[in-house]
Amino acid sequence: MEPGQSITPAGARPARRVLCIEDEHFIAELYERALSKAGYQTTLEVDGARGLELALSDAFDIILLDLMVPNVTGIEILRRLRTEKPDLKAKIIITTNLEQRDDVRADIEKQADGYVVKAELTPRELVGILDGIA
Amino acid sequence: MDYYDALAKKVRRNLLITMTVVTLASCGLAYLLLVATELPPFIILIVAGALAMLMNAIFSATTTRWLLQPLQAIWQAVVHISPTNHGEPAPNIDQLKLGQEMVGSLVNQIYQLASEAAKHTTAAPVLSSEYGFIPSNLPLPLFVLDESETIQFANLAAAEYIGQKTDALIGKNVYMVLDMAFPNKDTLDAWLKESKTTVATASHSWERVRLNVLDNHPTRLFDLAAYYNKDNPNKQSTMLVLFDHTKQYSQDEQAVSFIALSVHELRTPLTMLRGYIEAFQEELEGKLDPQMTDFMQKMAANAQQLTAFVNNILNVARIDDDQMELHLNEEQWPTILESTIEGLKLRAKVRGVQLQTTIAPDLPTVAVDRLSIQEVITNLVDNAVKYSAGAELVEINVHMNQEGQVETTFTDHGQGISAGIMPNLFTKFYRDHRNRAQIGGTGLGLYLCKTIVEAHGGHIWVKSKEKEGSTFGFTLLPYASLAAELKNGDNTDIVRGAHGWIKNHSMYRR
Repeated sequence: MEPGQSITPAGARPARRVLCIEDEHFIAELYERALSKAGYQTTLEVDGARGLELALSDAFDIILLDLMVPNVTGIEILRRLRTEKPDLKAKIIITTNLEQRDDVRADIEKQADGYVVKAELTPRELVGILDGIA
Repeated sequence: MDYYDALAKKVRRNLLITMTVVTLASCGLAYLLLVATELPPFIILIVAGALAMLMNAIFSATTTRWLLQPLQAIWQAVVHISPTNHGEPAPNIDQLKLGQEMVGSLVNQIYQLASEAAKHTTAAPVLSSEYGFIPSNLPLPLFVLDESETIQFANLAAAEYIGQKTDALIGKNVYMVLDMAFPNKDTLDAWLKESKTTVATASHSWERVRLNVLDNHPTRLFDLAAYYNKDNPNKQSTMLVLFDHTKQYSQDEQAVSFIALSVHELRTPLTMLRGYIEAFQEELEGKLDPQMTDFMQKMAANAQQLTAFVNNILNVARIDDDQMELHLNEEQWPTILESTIEGLKLRAKVRGVQLQTTIAPDLPTVAVDRLSIQEVITNLVDNAVKYSAGAELVEINVHMNQEGQVETTFTDHGQGISAGIMPNLFTKFYRDHRNRAQIGGTGLGLYLCKTIVEAHGGHIWVKSKEKEGSTFGFTLLPYASLAAELKNGDNTDIVRGAHGWIKNHSMYRR
């Protein structure tokens, strides 16, 4: 991925809205910076329960979902979004640093649209992945 | 009793007729002789008596045969089902002239009783004297199987262990009752199959067998010991004893969870570190002198490398505890290889090494677990870069080898490896002692590569010449060669443990 590749030309299309449910403040800050630079409109949420509420509003194109968030876990958010909002239009990308058992991971991957290990990607590389999501 | 009454009536009638005929014939003869001849009455009496005796003798013989027909048929039926029967055929009821209905009914009842008795003999072997007090009350789960792997006996501990009643286990296939998963391809099923064809008696044991008992029942972990005897006259060919270690092995699993948590704690600051370095690089682009730019790149590359190392720790822990499962899917190898190499170029660049990839055209798709095979590529590239020792080029080459497998090689032009240490290269924690001071590393990378490649069904190798450099290579199977296995499986992909197959006993291929 080349630098700048992820930046959406101004006015080319409406800014895509990203909900970032992430309780690590520094990581959230970095993601917000990279997403904004690339022309995304970002909403940050550190709390799982509020994150779920926001996600259910279906006002986003992409949801970045950390698995270890307080009050309602990321797995629970994912499960409830899929059952309570089966026609959710947002793509759900799991972002985690916690290694799952293979079977758990396979189960999560089945329900989500993407699964990334945060440490494996710089914020810009993550944005590059989001750019590739229709 | 209707049949009996009918038979009695028929016998009575026939006997009456016979006796009447004999009496009338004798009397008739006496009367004729008295009227037509002048024989003395004494002689006439003797002649009539002789006729009566002759007729009685003839009728007795035929009547006896006729009357005993039903008894003979019943006798035949009893002998036929007797365990000591030596070829006695079943009675032919249709040919009976007397008591056909009654005998038919009795013979049916005899066969039914025999069948019930046989069932009880099989269904309650626990009560049989063949299984005594000791096996029944052995405080370890014990299963006895016949040649077709059907459970002939299960003791109380066995029934309790899997949460079922003893009666419910008898007569079932052992794999229906014990849903076992083994750490590697050495499974009970495989061992039994081999033992049955090659030996008369054998014994074997396994560690860390997993057992899924019921849907809502927790997984159990145990060691398994088995004894096989081909010529057991009672058809009890296999004995299985289970040694439960659920608690101990679960603690081991928790240790892996501890590693997973530690890895999480390491990855979180690494994510931030990499993010902030990237932010600096972006913000300061064009404002830094070349040396500072170089320093920034080195920071980024080393943070990335640390991430890879953390992954190595985690993966080796999972492999050692048989917790790594590979999901082999059909993939385009050039796509995976090139995208992984792309991510590694920075790490090579900061060490003054260029990565050059050559991929042969028209390669078949391969069966790989994307994440795991990326670890192999990363480790082999890191290894080649690390040992380049000033040489500027690492060549990566992909081609079909003579065995029809996709082979990928990584060639550096560095210091090379002495022949003496080559056999140890893929051993865990092994490092060339000469380099230990100059070059970092844990000796986990090549061990990890070997394990993952072999779990894919490929093999890994190294060729090296001191002062000239080394080539590491590994092979992957074309997807088509594994497609047949896919068809046999329950899942859409092939699941393997890091040490080989995990779920490979026959019940998974139903």
